[in-house]
Amino acid sequence: MPPLIEARELSKRYGKHLALDRVSFSIESGRIVGLIGPNGAGKTSALRSLLGLTNYEGHLRVLGREPLRERTALMADACFIADVAVLPGWLRVDQAIDFVAGVHPKFRRERAKALLERTQIRGSHRMRELSKGMKTQVHLALTMAIDARLFVLDEPTLGLDLLARRSFYDALVNDYMDETRTILITTHQVEEVENLLTDVMFIDKGRIVLDCSLEAVAQRYAAVAVSGAGLDAARGLRPFYERRTLGKTVLYYENPDFAKLADFGEVLTPSVSDLFVAKLAGEAS
Amino acid sequence: MNNSSWLIRREFWENRAIWLVPAVIAGLLMIGAVFGHVQFGGDLFRPDGPGGGVPSQVSLYALSGVVTSMFLIIMSVYSGWYLLDCLHADRKDRSILFWKSLPISDSETVLVKLLVGLIVIPLVYFAIADVTILFMAFILSLRTGAWAASGFWHPSLWLQTQGFWLYTIVTLAIWFLPVAGWLMLISAWASRAVILWSVLPPLAIFIGERWMFGTYYFGRELLDRLGAGYARYAFNVTEGGEGWKTEVLHPGGGDETVSFPTSLWHLLDPVGFFGSPATWIGAAVGVALIFAAIQLRSRRAEI
Repeated sequence: MPPLIEARELSKRYGKHLALDRVSFSIESGRIVGLIGPNGAGKTSALRSLLGLTNYEGHLRVLGREPLRERTALMADACFIADVAVLPGWLRVDQAIDFVAGVHPKFRRERAKALLERTQIRGSHRMRELSKGMKTQVHLALTMAIDARLFVLDEPTLGLDLLARRSFYDALVNDYMDETRTILITTHQVEEVENLLTDVMFIDKGRIVLDCSLEAVAQRYAAVAVSGAGLDAARGLRPFYERRTLGKTVLYYENPDFAKLADFGEVLTPSVSDLFVAKLAGEAS
Repeated sequence: MNNSSWLIRREFWENRAIWLVPAVIAGLLMIGAVFGHVQFGGDLFRPDGPGGGVPSQVSLYALSGVVTSMFLIIMSVYSGWYLLDCLHADRKDRSILFWKSLPISDSETVLVKLLVGLIVIPLVYFAIADVTILFMAFILSLRTGAWAASGFWHPSLWLQTQGFWLYTIVTLAIWFLPVAGWLMLISAWASRAVILWSVLPPLAIFIGERWMFGTYYFGRELLDRLGAGYARYAFNVTEGGEGWKTEVLHPGGGDETVSFPTSLWHLLDPVGFFGSPATWIGAAVGVALIFAAIQLRSRRAEI
């Protein structure tokens, strides 16, 4: 089976600025992929290209389709929540449900209603009357009621408080995810999503600096905290980043000799957030 | 097709002014008819008034003409604004990102909005105007006495009025297609100040032409398109021709006369309208502008 998303030499230009610089990646079915990068790294450009919202250069196939030319067909099998709540203020909750039910062949009205029944939101509410968190709940209920193969979320929890963010991701994982679905999430808040991802992609300055599954992270990356005498020797094993903390220095390695590393101390698998910092800071130096 | 009906409904949810504005005007006119001074036709057409023998159907013409032109003027302003705003509003509030997450093509979205601006809004206005005229005619004939009833309640005249409106809606839509296309193009393109952007380029061309060539072709064509041109092509406005009747107003003396068509059909000029190159050149320009608006719409997300 071909991958769900396949990008080769994908570029996106805004005038002279290169938002995406010939990136290549592919995403298989059933994964939860985090596209993680600092602000302005090219995350949104990548997603806009994948969803057929903007033109791009290079080869791109999503669910076997060319996004810009076949957006309508693509959206029958893919859905997305772009940035924060973008439901228009004048729209009423029941109108939103009616509309999506009317135009989307894979929308299950009962499911959307069941999801909203758990909340304080009523059908007669207009979006402008709802808080940001509630709007996101409506949008999530609308989107999760669609039997889509690909679900793309662009900074879905931006501007939400901690409670709303947590319940957003809980709903996503518990009520939505199964092996037939694929989720692509962009965020610059790594800690928030690292526990639910199966794959991570780091993007910086329009380039992908890391693309691997979380299982592979443990095999590929290691961190060792070294103090005093061993430091120079440990540096000899070519860490790509080091960080001083509480009198120790933490060294980060890519594809190291694990046996040798063990001589310097306990070898740890870096967390996604640590790896993110290490990778991006390492690239910069 | 199913999508389109939902898209039209969507426009009514978003733009409640489509029916609220004409409904409010209708309400005011009806209240005016019930409580106000009866001025339509004034004393002119009363059997014992100065109009004397003038057939009472003229009073329906007068009523219908005044009410319709009022609705027509407000409708033109509203429709123009709607078309200028319709591809811009959802880019401004970023809800375009929601609409584009649904399996609806950009061409369907743009064409439905065009349909709403050029056909649906006029239909709503004319339907409400129709009810208003019916109601006012009823009230006025009660208030003025039996003399008017024969004019107001003239079945073939009512039928003519409906036919007249349908003809007007269709010809208006074709004639103003290039204007609508231009407004939608600006709506799809501009990131702010849509009104300014819709006015500035034509103004610049007008000034540029005058400055460089000392001619006024563009300005003249534009004014004709926006103003007198439509009536000239779509209607037969020469008074006193075939099908027109002229009556002397004061049977007792004087030379004041009133001219009116014996049937509204005589006013329509479909051959002149559909046979004129101006109609079809304009329509072709309109189609090109709308095509460009669709292209822009598919490449632009939010502002």
